[in-house]
Amino acid sequence: MKYILLMSGTKPGAATYHAWTPNDREAHMGALRAITTELIESGEFVATQGLEGPGEAKVVRGEKNGLPVTDGIFPESKEFLLGYWIVDVTAPERAYAIAGRISAAPGPGGIPTNMPIEVRRFADSKPISRDEP
Amino acid sequence: MKYILMMNGTKADFNSYGRWSQKDLEANVAFMRAFSRELKDSGVFVSTEGLGWPDQARMVRAAAAGTPVTDGVFAESKEFLAGYWIVDVENAEQAYKIAARASMAPGPGGTPGNMPIEVRQVMSSFADLGI
Repeated sequence: MKYILLMSGTKPGAATYHAWTPNDREAHMGALRAITTELIESGEFVATQGLEGPGEAKVVRGEKNGLPVTDGIFPESKEFLLGYWIVDVTAPERAYAIAGRISAAPGPGGIPTNMPIEVRRFADSKPISRDEP
Repeated sequence: MKYILMMNGTKADFNSYGRWSQKDLEANVAFMRAFSRELKDSGVFVSTEGLGWPDQARMVRAAAAGTPVTDGVFAESKEFLAGYWIVDVENAEQAYKIAARASMAPGPGGTPGNMPIEVRQVMSSFADLGI
């Protein structure tokens, strides 16, 4: 069963991260990298990706005169995806356990961020992937 | 440059999709399949996935004892990721054009859905975080 673990935050939340000391950021990313390495070793790893900050985010709705209609204004409360992990596990509990570990990654001063991680299963329909003939 | 194109919706949006006629659903799915195929043929396709419905969604936080704390209660206004495409393109404008096409996927009665598609650049490495 494939699950996606989504890490999201508001613009002010994402901005806070950049105010962390380099040491705190290094410790945080080090913990996340260690989780990824463990997932690769256990064979549960599918993919992980970080997204660029929300500053450049756009919403596109249809076309006008052949051009995409873009909008870059979002409500303050809007939750932006910051990054994700895709894991292939045998039970949802295992996906929750991995998400718990990500949430426990250290923040400023080494204290766990306790960031909420949204856990979602992929739809049952066969995913279309690059590997498909 | 890699971009992620995300479809989001509230629980109410998901529920209204569930009430579409079989014919409308099939037309929408056929569009999405053809769209992915076109992205592959043009060499910009990286991946696409659809997510399960929000009623299975759980929010997980770390707990002191190492046991994850899960919660399945969300605000009505919460936007859930419904699915995404990752494309590898030359610039943001190309990503917006692709998003506009996805936005025009047919909805009920074959009318373009005009669904909002969030477009975000994907980081090439952790170096982008300034580490």
